[in-house]
Amino acid sequence: MNLALLLVIAAVISFLVIVLVGILVGRSRLQFADATQIQTVDVEAFRNLADPRESEYLQNRLPASDFRHIQRIRMRALAAYVQVVGGNAVVLIRIGQLALNSESPETVEAARKVVDDALLLRRNAGLVLLRIYIQLLWPDTGFAATPILEGYQRLSGSAMLLSRLRNPAAILRISA
Amino acid sequence: MLQAHSFLWHYLWVAPDALQLLLCFFLWKRRLVKEFPAFFAFALLTGTGELVVYAADLLPSVSGVMYWRMVWAETMLEDVLKFAVIAEIFAKIFGAYASVARLGKALIQWAGAIFVFAAALAAAYAPRYPFAGIIFGANLLEQSTFLIECGVLVFIFLLSSYFHLRWPRKVFGITLGLSLSACVYLATWGLITNAGLPAQKRALLVLLTRSTFHLEVLLWFYYLLVPERAPVLTPAPPPESNLALWNRELERLLQ
Repeated sequence: MNLALLLVIAAVISFLVIVLVGILVGRSRLQFADATQIQTVDVEAFRNLADPRESEYLQNRLPASDFRHIQRIRMRALAAYVQVVGGNAVVLIRIGQLALNSESPETVEAARKVVDDALLLRRNAGLVLLRIYIQLLWPDTGFAATPILEGYQRLSGSAMLLSRLRNPAAILRISA
Repeated sequence: MLQAHSFLWHYLWVAPDALQLLLCFFLWKRRLVKEFPAFFAFALLTGTGELVVYAADLLPSVSGVMYWRMVWAETMLEDVLKFAVIAEIFAKIFGAYASVARLGKALIQWAGAIFVFAAALAAAYAPRYPFAGIIFGANLLEQSTFLIECGVLVFIFLLSSYFHLRWPRKVFGITLGLSLSACVYLATWGLITNAGLPAQKRALLVLLTRSTFHLEVLLWFYYLLVPERAPVLTPAPPPESNLALWNRELERLLQ
């Protein structure tokens, strides 16, 4: 009977997860996305927090307990940045997926690039967040968030290209 | 009414399978077979297989052992095809995006292995009954399959939700039907196999699975055949200030 109960509980939890995610998926089909939802990220501050040389410098200068305390604060700040970057990736995934329906093959190609880069960034953001949370437990270990920074740079380029294709007037204003 | 061989029982045995075959006809008619070959094969073969099993149940010439052998064969065929449908769903959602396709494939393989292990563990700990081993075996097979299926489908939902991927309507409908029924089947087969329920209650649970299957087929009808009233969602061009912001960000990154 215990096993039966366990399986019923597993089934009920699965059912609830599927209904919940199903509703979210259904809603996301109707959701509108535009670039105003993107939050700016201070890349310099992000770089500084992710720089292993900074950590090394602090580690050499501070007593071990102080370093661990400071490092945890830095890691939490870095996590906040990564969450924003991950959120921006989601907005760009939505924008790119909407643009995939465009009639212009150029726009579709650019949109596919944006979606691919944004998905990569979302994936990296998740992995980096995981590493940050693990490092919060052991702040002495080294850390590098280079992949996410590189991904962000690549994504910015793709997004610019897509926005140019969708709104040529805008590029004239930018170029001016 | 809620007993074996009642009118409701006959209806729930025949109607969903007949509807499933009708769905296959419409899929063929609307040239959707190429788009969903695994799902078409699944719907066609399981619909036919279940009607054959139903006929075997009614025919006095078919012995009990023969009937359960047919149930075994039909269940195994259904399971293989079901996992082919899941692979098709996965390919439709993740296959278009190279950046997550590989990671998704690796993750789903791991998740699948974990759920197979969990199903084997659940089967090993299931209570053994000295009688009717062939029936118990069939129940155990159902329980194991639905445990794996349920886990893998939940995993696909969660993974796609993390990446905020847009589901094509038809794929969403197929997956929703499969997933919701997998949950109900897991609970019912878990109870049938492990709880030692009396025959009357087991028959009630079987009716519940058939009703769920009926709803599942109706869900497929809706999502596969009713056209989407799609709102035209075209992203507005990013405002000038935002583009400038991006440009500034880009310049800073390029330094």
